[in-house]
Amino acid sequence: MTPTPIKRAGFGLAAAMALALPVAAQELTIIRAQDSNHYDPPRTTAQSGAEIIFMLSDTIVGLAEDMKTIEPLLASSWDVSDDALTYTFKIRDDVSFCDGKPMTAEDVAWSLNRWQDPETKSPVRWRMGDVKSITAPDATTVVYELNAPHSELLYQLAQSFGSIIDKDTYETLGKDFGVTGFNGTGPFCWESWTPRDKVVMTRHDGYNWGPANYENRGPAQVEKVTWQIVPEAATRTVALLTGQGDISPYIPFIGYSTLRAAPNINVIKSESAFWTNYMGFKITKDLVGDVKVRQAINLAVNQEAMAEDLFFGEVEPAYSYVSSGALDYDATLNDSLLKYDPEKAAALLDEAGWVLNSDGKREKDGKVMEPLAISFTGEWQQTSEAVQADLLKVGIELQIEPMDSTVYWGKSATDEFEMYVMGYPYISAGDALNLYFRSANIPTPNRMNWNDPETDELLVAGSQATNETDRAAAYAKVLHKVHDNAVWLPIYHRPMQIGYSTKLAPFEAHNIYGAGLYKGLQLTFTE
Amino acid sequence: MISAVLHRLVLSVPVLFGVLLFGFLLVQIVPGDPAMVVAGPTATADVVAAIREEMGLDQPVLVQFWSYLQRMAVGDLGRSMISNKSVTSELGAALWPTLELMIGSMVWSVPVGVAMGTLAAVVRGSLIDRAIMALSVAGVSLPIFFISLMAIQFLGVKWQIFPFIGRPGPWYTAEGFMALFLPALSLGSILIGPVARMTRSSVLEVLKLDHVRTARAKGLSETRVILAHGLRNALIPVVTLIGLQVGYLLGGAVVTETIFSWPGLGRLAVGAIMSSDFTVAQGTIMIFALGFITVNLIVDILYSLLDPRVRK
Repeated sequence: MTPTPIKRAGFGLAAAMALALPVAAQELTIIRAQDSNHYDPPRTTAQSGAEIIFMLSDTIVGLAEDMKTIEPLLASSWDVSDDALTYTFKIRDDVSFCDGKPMTAEDVAWSLNRWQDPETKSPVRWRMGDVKSITAPDATTVVYELNAPHSELLYQLAQSFGSIIDKDTYETLGKDFGVTGFNGTGPFCWESWTPRDKVVMTRHDGYNWGPANYENRGPAQVEKVTWQIVPEAATRTVALLTGQGDISPYIPFIGYSTLRAAPNINVIKSESAFWTNYMGFKITKDLVGDVKVRQAINLAVNQEAMAEDLFFGEVEPAYSYVSSGALDYDATLNDSLLKYDPEKAAALLDEAGWVLNSDGKREKDGKVMEPLAISFTGEWQQTSEAVQADLLKVGIELQIEPMDSTVYWGKSATDEFEMYVMGYPYISAGDALNLYFRSANIPTPNRMNWNDPETDELLVAGSQATNETDRAAAYAKVLHKVHDNAVWLPIYHRPMQIGYSTKLAPFEAHNIYGAGLYKGLQLTFTE
Repeated sequence: MISAVLHRLVLSVPVLFGVLLFGFLLVQIVPGDPAMVVAGPTATADVVAAIREEMGLDQPVLVQFWSYLQRMAVGDLGRSMISNKSVTSELGAALWPTLELMIGSMVWSVPVGVAMGTLAAVVRGSLIDRAIMALSVAGVSLPIFFISLMAIQFLGVKWQIFPFIGRPGPWYTAEGFMALFLPALSLGSILIGPVARMTRSSVLEVLKLDHVRTARAKGLSETRVILAHGLRNALIPVVTLIGLQVGYLLGGAVVTETIFSWPGLGRLAVGAIMSSDFTVAQGTIMIFALGFITVNLIVDILYSLLDPRVRK
């Protein structure tokens, strides 16, 4: 076959490039959709922040891919007092920061104290529990004392917010830490950040203290990692297909079938999903104040059809508020979950007094059932419209007000709607329940105005439980209570999916806070 | 000549002040709360309030405006409300990629547009003329995102000749040059149509004038008549058009930069507005305004170079 002139030009240019450029060995380009506001561990709650921070630094404990097993990381071991108020961590003595400085227990205590310091204004300070003190009595011991037990403390300490950083670098950089520089103990070291463009990191050559669940505990095989932001979804897919990127967890649902069919791309999908998309009800509003109405809306929506038609079968239809694979999920809940049954939905609406009028709409006391849902634009708008179409079949005319995310967050803190949309990552049932169902968290993130003293008591009991059985029992009761009251309309659980080049060896995806590559130690070129 | 330039420069000052005021007010009235963006969706109300206070957003608008003017007076554009990065460094990093993209798009599209327009005028009414005009209408009508996606589909994906994500380096490096190709090709394609059409009509006008007939009567070759006597005099409205089109290019750059992940001012502006990063948004608005003022100034100077009558 004779090459076309265009191909000849292409070969010529490629040859010129090959001559002009040095061979880039073991360099990896990860394609993603968005940037973080910065990379200061306790101050950013962005998923895109966690992705970078996990690679640049370590937490005192790690979390295995099963999202249940806590692994030693910077702490080689730990003891918990009988009253579960004191955690004594034995810190490794062979760990160093990227600048070569040895890491000590003092760095650990300082980093954790900074997280809880009100001056830091960490939006996730509550995850640390009711801290009494965090001290480092010697170079390898950290004592974490609580005023009340915090049953999920180790899981929370495994999140990126609790990453250990170098005090001296922080004091030099101040608020520019995680903006112009970073000094952590992770498998990779900060090289540069160009906001909205890329983050570049290089291998931490001395690293060998990775989590035990990794076959390779360090150093990483990859020498340099570039996290390239590609905002356009279709471009991300073709960039992977054409080898301009090696790996991407940000492929649009429509693109996965193409990637699976491509000979140069593999796709991994985690077995469990730890990211749930739902629509919440503002239960203090008249239109959705009646539990029967909320249950009817749950029954009228066909999540399975949405998963197939809107999301190309790539997601798991959701009927529960957390994935069944999550720690402390109660399997007895499965029997009572509300699944698609439009006839039952219509019957429930009739029972609640919302009868069909001559226009085919539900009406009660002269008021028409037209709840307002606020939504993001884009994918969420499509989801809301699918819900709208299903609800119309039972006589409910959902009004949708799509808006940009910056406007959305402010609006969702008000009482000016009946329904809202949200997607969120979690590490366990307790993590999700404590965040969204505590009355103290009204108006955000408890946007439902769910104010139930018994729930509050159970959540306190769960979070202060001193053993796993008590914790699971308390959270199971909350799960049943909120599901019985149908305060959410779950839509789908999103599993972690990653497309990657066949130049890389197969690996397992992580689910922690949406950071599917976690420490990056499993990324290995086969060629 | 110098006094005319100085006069234009002085006139630019109130324009710039007006833009600064407008930019400040605009970001104030646009809905959105940077504190909510920083705090994230799971933050409680007290955390959001604390972050808002730290950002100074709890201050009255007039106090914020006064502080803004004070900063501007000493050339301090402030720091990003979201990342804390210096706005000057953010703008500095984004300015050159955008300039590179605009120059890269104009460097091929303007000569091509002028050549096409001139050719169409010379062979007026022929099939070539009609084909060129049809092509220029298509160039004006096709949205830039469509042209960009087609460029990616064929030159990036199907034939895999050019990369289409990011900017690995400046244009003079091999990687940078290759990466610039598709964005510049896409962005430039929107300029060809207007330039070709304007050149064609302008050349047609000039070719009817007496001095062209005189040139022909002197026995000059047709090429020389068209290029030296026709085209040169026909370029004045074309230069004006290009000046005006720079604004259009900046608008197109916002889309092009997004599709090709080009780290320029367009993406910076969109990102700042999307995240309610007031200080960066104000900085980009100011840079865009300065860009327009500068281009208009250059157009005025070129005018006087092309047409000595303007200098008088």
